[in-house]
Amino acid sequence: MSSINQIPVIEAKKGNPLARVFDELVRFCRSRSLFILHYCTGCGAIELPPAMTSRFDMERLGIQPMVSPRQADILLITGYVSIKTLKRVILTYEQMGSPKYVIGICSCTVNGGMYWQSYATAKKLDEYMPVDLYIAGCMPRPEAVIAGLQQLMDSIHAGKANSWEDYYRNYDYYLGNQQKLFGDNWQTPTDVIAEAKHYNLLSKGTLGVHTRLLEQHQQPLEALEMRLGHNLKEPTE
Amino acid sequence: MTLTLLDELLLFSGATLLVALFIGRGLAAGWMVTILYGGQLLTLLKMAALGYGGGIIASSLSFTVMGQNLSWRFDALSWFFALITLGSALLSSWFACGAWERSYAKQGGNIWLFHLAMALNVLSMLILLASGDLLSLFIGWELVSWAGFLLMALAGGVATQAAMRYITYAMAGGMAIFGGLALVYSSSGSLQLDAVLIAVESMSTTKLWLLVILFGGGFGVKMGLLPFHLWQAPAYAETPGPGSAFLGAISSRMGLFAILLVLVKLFGIVNIDSLKIPFTLIDARDLLAWIAVFTIIFPTFTAMKQNDARHLLAWHGIGQGGYMLLGVVVADAMGGAGGLLHVFNHATYQAALFMAVTAVIHRTGTADLNKLGGLVVRMPLSFMVLLIGIIGLAGLPPMNGFVSKWLVYRSLLNEGMPLLFLAAVIGTLGTILSVYKLIHNIFLGQLRVEHEQVKEAPWSMMAPMLILAAIIFITGLFPGIPLAWVASVQEVVGLPATDYTLGGVESVSGSLDMIWVIGVLFAGFGIGAVIFYSAGRSKRVHQLDNYAGGHFLSADVRYQYSDNFYAGLMHLVGGWYRGSFLWLEKSVISLIDFLSLVMQGLYRRANAEFYLLSTALFVMAWVVI
Repeated sequence: MSSINQIPVIEAKKGNPLARVFDELVRFCRSRSLFILHYCTGCGAIELPPAMTSRFDMERLGIQPMVSPRQADILLITGYVSIKTLKRVILTYEQMGSPKYVIGICSCTVNGGMYWQSYATAKKLDEYMPVDLYIAGCMPRPEAVIAGLQQLMDSIHAGKANSWEDYYRNYDYYLGNQQKLFGDNWQTPTDVIAEAKHYNLLSKGTLGVHTRLLEQHQQPLEALEMRLGHNLKEPTE
Repeated sequence: MTLTLLDELLLFSGATLLVALFIGRGLAAGWMVTILYGGQLLTLLKMAALGYGGGIIASSLSFTVMGQNLSWRFDALSWFFALITLGSALLSSWFACGAWERSYAKQGGNIWLFHLAMALNVLSMLILLASGDLLSLFIGWELVSWAGFLLMALAGGVATQAAMRYITYAMAGGMAIFGGLALVYSSSGSLQLDAVLIAVESMSTTKLWLLVILFGGGFGVKMGLLPFHLWQAPAYAETPGPGSAFLGAISSRMGLFAILLVLVKLFGIVNIDSLKIPFTLIDARDLLAWIAVFTIIFPTFTAMKQNDARHLLAWHGIGQGGYMLLGVVVADAMGGAGGLLHVFNHATYQAALFMAVTAVIHRTGTADLNKLGGLVVRMPLSFMVLLIGIIGLAGLPPMNGFVSKWLVYRSLLNEGMPLLFLAAVIGTLGTILSVYKLIHNIFLGQLRVEHEQVKEAPWSMMAPMLILAAIIFITGLFPGIPLAWVASVQEVVGLPATDYTLGGVESVSGSLDMIWVIGVLFAGFGIGAVIFYSAGRSKRVHQLDNYAGGHFLSADVRYQYSDNFYAGLMHLVGGWYRGSFLWLEKSVISLIDFLSLVMQGLYRRANAEFYLLSTALFVMAWVVI
């Protein structure tokens, strides 16, 4: 009890009790079935096979690998992120459906690690996207990876793992950092601002100088509409 | 003299041929011919009593040649096959009218010849189906063979080669049938069906064996039974689009018609069952059944390797013929019904599939499965038709193919033929794999840049396709409609008739009610839809906003490849494709080449002494012995 924050305070719970039970159920289910998209950028990836397979077996926690970002919950970045890779990481992150969580494994994602002096490496991952959890070490052992994942599960269950909302609330900040690194022409196929509106997360930090710069050259990628084409004119030959 | 309905039908069909011949070059000739096919179909429907157990309708046309009375008549069997023939002719001809005709003519095709060949095919098929004795059967058979050749050879080039190969096989088959006829005549002294029916009872086993081989082989050629199947796929696939829909739907079923008439009705399954093969446990009927299942398996797995959509479908046409023969050979109520019902079902989905593929060719210019993809967003209706067609072809509910295949499977299990059942299921497995390849490589996956502006097929092509799709579903939901016709066919050819209901069959050993099956299936879809639509709005994304290891995708780079489909499976089974039948065909060709060289050597040599000497030696040997 050295700090005032550690004193437990019981808050009076508000709202519809049925809705609270439902929310609790949703959070419980969400924390117990996590699909990982492991974007294996560096050497930390080597610690994942033992974590996944029979020795440590993270599937007993309901965590298993997934091949596409659309169905994945966790983006696992396992090692140094070069500038070239970072573009791909951001593309993949934006393709994931919310709620989504990012875990940075190894020291390199925290501060560049042994690549701190490299000109080609992004040092801090959380300048470009919100990171829920870092698992530091060079490299962290599977026990550490599993412990980190359990911590993420706990915070999802507690309803605290909502840093994905931060990407929409402060999009301008993240986009600015991205533009600084990749140049002003940077754009991804995902329309983040429209998504922010969809999630009701449009706030002060969403729009700004950098989003205006993006809007100047952005070419939207509309979904292919299903059409019969009978209303089109016959091509004249 | 009053004209019977059959006379009207044949005259109508002849008139269609004359219209196609004389004013077929004029304006809207295609539509005129199509309407005439509609008229023929109406005349046929006036004879609908035949399909529900009505009496035979004879034609006034009959004459006597060298003591042989030739006559033509329609019974339930003829009516059932004629219904399929005219239905597919009407829809294929409708499909050809308008946009397809114009683009075909622009590519240098001869529309007049096309309609003429179609009309000739229909007329000759009707004449064959109406045959009332073995001699008129043979005349109809030859007419059908040559009319088919005309339609197949239309496109020129590869098509002509395929047609030449076909006519070679067909001539060999025709000769076999002719030999069979001579043999029948020698023992019964007449080619009338009644006389033959009596003569069969007193025939020796050897003679019956010989007849089964000659007729079975001859009719089997048309049906594409192993090992006479090699001609069929290229010949049907290279025919101009609507023509291949028509041929694929009905043409080779004429072989099944003749088998039903001669082997099943005249010789009788019981007699065929009594023909034992010495030193083995099997008899002629088992032999036919095994030929049928190998006809299912080999062509189906050959289809899987095809990269041209039309060839893929044509190979399936051969394979599905195996199910029909298998059902008929099992010959109990369910098996016979399954085999006969499959004729109808196969015609509906095969025509729909060929039309859908032709629509794709019409819009994109290719049927190469490696050069298409993603067309579902541009041709959604064609996609639906193809989807319904392949569900029917693969024999899955809720389409009609399921019913007939279920009946065949069920009869194999009921009659205690588990090995044949297993083989038939292996064939279905190959079917499912290859039709997935078909729909995936054409409609799913990445849309190509060059197909960005492709449009749905024009309505003149869409309408018959949609009608066929509706028939496929409705006869899947209410299989009792065609089963009524099938039951009267079974009675006519002497098979036990099936006990049908509107939703399927009623039997102590296991009933089928498609109304329930489809009801449950759609209830499942309904639950899925409730979950999907209650889960909130979904977001559609562009194909290029996709995950490819994080790469930024662009339209000019293919990220999804369709060639070398099933590479993993081919790694396992690829070594089993040995082309043995091609080898067999080549060896027969080279043997005939060799013999003809020997003969040429003989008659080109004007060597009188040699001939005299050999004749003298022969005579002496004959006298001495």
